[in-house]
Amino acid sequence: MASEERRIARGDWHPAGASNSAEAWLVESGGALSATAIGDAASLTLPTDAAEISARVGSIPRRVTFPDGSVFETWDNDGIDAYLARSGRGGAGVVHWLEQFRLRLAGIVVLALLLGTAVYRFGLPALVELAVWATPPVVPELMAQGTLETLDRTMFSPTALPDSTVKEIKDGFARIVAASPRGEGGYALHFRAGGLIGPNAFALPDGTIVMTDELVELADGDTEMLMGVLAHEIGHVDLQHSLRQLYRAAGIAGLVMLVAGDIGAGAEDVLVDGSALLVLSYSRSAEAEADRHSVELMLKAGYDPAAIVRFFTLIEEKLGDRSETSMFSTHPGTPDRKKAILDYAAILKGQSDPHLQ
Amino acid sequence: MALAEGPATPADVGTFHRFAFAGKAKEYFGIWIVNVLLTIVTLGIYSAWAKVRRNRYFYGNTVLLGRAFDYHARGKQILIGRLIVLGALIALNIIAQLVPILVLLPTVVVLIALPWLVAKGLRFSARVTSYRNVRFDFVGGAGGAFKAFIVGGLLTVLTLGILAPLASRWVARYVGTNLRYGGRAFDTDPKLGALYPSWFLSLLVAVMGLAIVAAVAVVSLPSLQGIFEAGDSATPESQWSIIAVIMFGYISLFVVFGIAGTVYRAGVRNAVWSSSTFEQRHRFLSDVSRRRYTWIAVSNVIVTILTLGLMRPWAAVRMARYQAEHTGVTIVGDVGELIGRIESQGSAVGSEFIDFEGFDFGF
Repeated sequence: MASEERRIARGDWHPAGASNSAEAWLVESGGALSATAIGDAASLTLPTDAAEISARVGSIPRRVTFPDGSVFETWDNDGIDAYLARSGRGGAGVVHWLEQFRLRLAGIVVLALLLGTAVYRFGLPALVELAVWATPPVVPELMAQGTLETLDRTMFSPTALPDSTVKEIKDGFARIVAASPRGEGGYALHFRAGGLIGPNAFALPDGTIVMTDELVELADGDTEMLMGVLAHEIGHVDLQHSLRQLYRAAGIAGLVMLVAGDIGAGAEDVLVDGSALLVLSYSRSAEAEADRHSVELMLKAGYDPAAIVRFFTLIEEKLGDRSETSMFSTHPGTPDRKKAILDYAAILKGQSDPHLQ
Repeated sequence: MALAEGPATPADVGTFHRFAFAGKAKEYFGIWIVNVLLTIVTLGIYSAWAKVRRNRYFYGNTVLLGRAFDYHARGKQILIGRLIVLGALIALNIIAQLVPILVLLPTVVVLIALPWLVAKGLRFSARVTSYRNVRFDFVGGAGGAFKAFIVGGLLTVLTLGILAPLASRWVARYVGTNLRYGGRAFDTDPKLGALYPSWFLSLLVAVMGLAIVAAVAVVSLPSLQGIFEAGDSATPESQWSIIAVIMFGYISLFVVFGIAGTVYRAGVRNAVWSSSTFEQRHRFLSDVSRRRYTWIAVSNVIVTILTLGLMRPWAAVRMARYQAEHTGVTIVGDVGELIGRIESQGSAVGSEFIDFEGFDFGF
């Protein structure tokens, strides 16, 4: 009767739902599993081939659940794995095989680091591009509407610039807009008294560009320089920087969340705060891109392509910003930026100069 | 008096049993790095299964009376729960972005849904946990979660942390009194008198830490002044150095409050466990040292960051071992008799439905 009964592992057997247990053997007989009591070898379960064996994780106890709801539990992982291998069910499984502390684990570490870096460097930007592409134009419009309304209510007051100044700047603006991809109607220039915001110009994702009276006064009649600044802002609009930054922040937060459970609460906080810093530093390359855009646009519109450099010189004089670009700075240092703009302007001029062609 | 009543029998006094943690850093390292790798390769989808393996490892190595705990959640179950929560959040945020008036909608919905999600999450965590083949259960509702987490949290913030022990007490009572094992109840009632000493110690740590930060700030005042003056005219170009200063300030505050919070948590852990009972008789105990617990937590974070995360498995195992070894239970009466009586109750069994594990309160 008891044809070649084979003991797999020693452990504890629980009747269905009971905390009570009896010491037992897990035995295999003709392909079927059952549990037998250790003392009198009495069968505790019917032999079955439908017992469910929990997957191996480290060396925690294995659980064998029988169809009648009773459970056999054992610390003898090797016994169970040997049985699984014998019966052609792959032993401890691929994942456990990978997890063992062998030399190949060093390869897994390297692979994880490389792939993690690749996802951050290439996967994330690709996903951001995809999201930007899939975003209907109505989204940036609605994002912008709320922003200007809020700023008007809290910070700004109507412009106090003389009409002649406004007209002069608007005429110049029309010239650079004519050279821009969205064309007339794609951008709208507004003037506001900046209040706390001070001398500034910024672009909203829908093409709304706001310039403060304080900035116009700072320019002291140098309209071409203001055009350089406006062309820079048009660059932010054309290159969809705010949308990109939004998606990038969301993407990084998502990445952190996914590995979060495995890095611990303290390190998770550090990563989340650190990623905020990373998103800010992304704006450094965005600023440089917008600078180059300004150079291109100004050249096309027939202005001095490096006019924006005069704006930076003005800032340096008035505000004393001579800081070099450092690891923590999110904007390139002003001297670096000026140099990059002048270099780029020289290259573009060289290309369009008939004497050099 | 004791003489008059006769010597206490072991059955009355009870026997004390400590938890143990059998996990090893080397072993968990493999599980951890494979989890990270597969999570990256599958663009995050595997993280649900990774969580199952991680929890099974920690529960399965937490041992009481020679037997380990077990974690029963399935990866698919967790993934579906996460997708539902994520989908809802995305939908809410899209609506809020499209209709500026509803910009606060996600916040409002999350605040209303939060207590419900917390209760569901606790129930999920309890029901997928077993010890000796019997599952835990959680019977708390959204109302209790609202009081403990939302009202308690608001009170803590509004009183600048002075009422934090009250909130801790509410949370402990909500979790402790609603927890069931085999249908039998736990009870928890940490007294404010047991919580406030840790709160004062934590306050002391925070004040000392802030004093150090303030001293550093005073020493570097001249250069700070320069930065803020340059930023007065507030063009974006000149504001970034201000942001760098703010970041440094933020990081030092993060460190100070992180340490103070850890000291407090250690004290709360002791007070909560040591006031907990099972079946009103079997008494739990936690005797972590606040100083040692804080040292382990802080050095864990530092080592993890310095090794770019590679020592995180070591850190996690180290903390789990310390906590388990400083937790125990006194079982009154015969252990075998107690075990013989405990059986699974209907509601907690066969709970293979989809539930939200978003708010994770491990056992």
